[in-house]
Amino acid sequence: MNQWIENILRFVVLLLLQVLLFNNLQFFGLCTPCVYVLFLIALPPTLPRWVELLIGFAAGFILDIFCNTLGVQTAACTMVAYVRPLLIKNMIQDNERLTDTPSGTSFGRLTYIRIVAILVVLHHTAMFSLLAFSFHNWWMTLIQIVVSSLFTVLVILGLDLLKR
Amino acid sequence: MRTLLQFLVKYSILLLFLVLEIVAFILLVRHNNYPQSAVLSSANRVSATLYEAGSTVSDYFSLRTQNRVLMDENAELRNRIAALENKLEGVEEDSLAQYVYADKNIEVRAAKVINNSTHLQRNYMTLNKGERDGVGIDMGVVSKEGVVGIVSAVSEKYAVVIPVLNPKVSISCKLRKNGYVGTLHWDGKDYRFAELQDIARHIDVNEGDTIVTSGYSDVFPENLPVGIIDKAELTESDAYYNIKVRLAVNFKTIEYVSVIENKNREEQKLLEGVTQNK
Repeated sequence: MNQWIENILRFVVLLLLQVLLFNNLQFFGLCTPCVYVLFLIALPPTLPRWVELLIGFAAGFILDIFCNTLGVQTAACTMVAYVRPLLIKNMIQDNERLTDTPSGTSFGRLTYIRIVAILVVLHHTAMFSLLAFSFHNWWMTLIQIVVSSLFTVLVILGLDLLKR
Repeated sequence: MRTLLQFLVKYSILLLFLVLEIVAFILLVRHNNYPQSAVLSSANRVSATLYEAGSTVSDYFSLRTQNRVLMDENAELRNRIAALENKLEGVEEDSLAQYVYADKNIEVRAAKVINNSTHLQRNYMTLNKGERDGVGIDMGVVSKEGVVGIVSAVSEKYAVVIPVLNPKVSISCKLRKNGYVGTLHWDGKDYRFAELQDIARHIDVNEGDTIVTSGYSDVFPENLPVGIIDKAELTESDAYYNIKVRLAVNFKTIEYVSVIENKNREEQKLLEGVTQNK
């Protein structure tokens, strides 16, 4: 029960942060960090996979409505929700670690950084490619992916350090 | 049959994933074709209220500049009133004036921008005025500096605008000095510049020329500022100029806009429709 409340709260806070702060933050139009992904990363690892997929779909859809980008975040977040359990299963053998909310302490610092980085890059690649749908300046999209992913990963790791 | 069931059970998660992704893609493609839905855009009540709350906070940071802009505009309007009054004095004696119909077919409504983007390849803008304030689809939106965009969706209290910074919009423009008409189009790169197309090579075009609306569409009245020519290129084999226009409006700092309603639009459309059907 407690876990439910924690996750819903995290969802609301991240949605507000994303819509009111991060979406307005652009360094030379290159960087649009999407810290919102943290909600998907921090879901309990014990969640059944179909539930996680539906949550990812819904979370992306809600963000899409706020950003006027119908379909883009939905596709990107669903992809993160599909890959995350595979990644966690692959990287963490010790089952005791899987009970908590994923964080630097429960997963081990290095593993957590790797999982966050992979999922964020995946999400941002999907997001920016779909946003750029049918446009030719692909190098611009590439720079956006790299810079934004870097920023998002740093913010998520910063939040993780703050929590302790 | 059993193998099929086994297959379905084994790959159920992958299948669910694929189905959800397909739904997302359908949303994406359909949304690109039909942006009219007010519920699934930032004009819906929840997200618009949130954006409005956010913008009340950020408003305080720009009060000083906004004040100055409004004062400038006040002064300019006052000057124009004075100039018009001067003119009127001379005209009132003249009985000709009463035979001329006043061109009162345009109504302007002020609105505030509560959400805006400039960095995407398809940008949108949300206004705090909607249907109940008289804002409707396909009305033109301008700011003090010039043309901003066209209303694409309205809910009761909010409206979504497709600004010039969206390739879905093209605006009929002309060179102010000689009246040649072209089409303004955004290429998705820089929020300060757009391209002017269809200006043929024999036309005299220089850097620094002013671009204004042509008045050929029923959305914008004539002679509203659009921008200034930044660069005009013509290679040997081109039939048309490559013109880069510096937009008059700064979309990064835009806060207050006016929505223009052309009251004669229906009449004009109807008439044009009748003629085309013959």
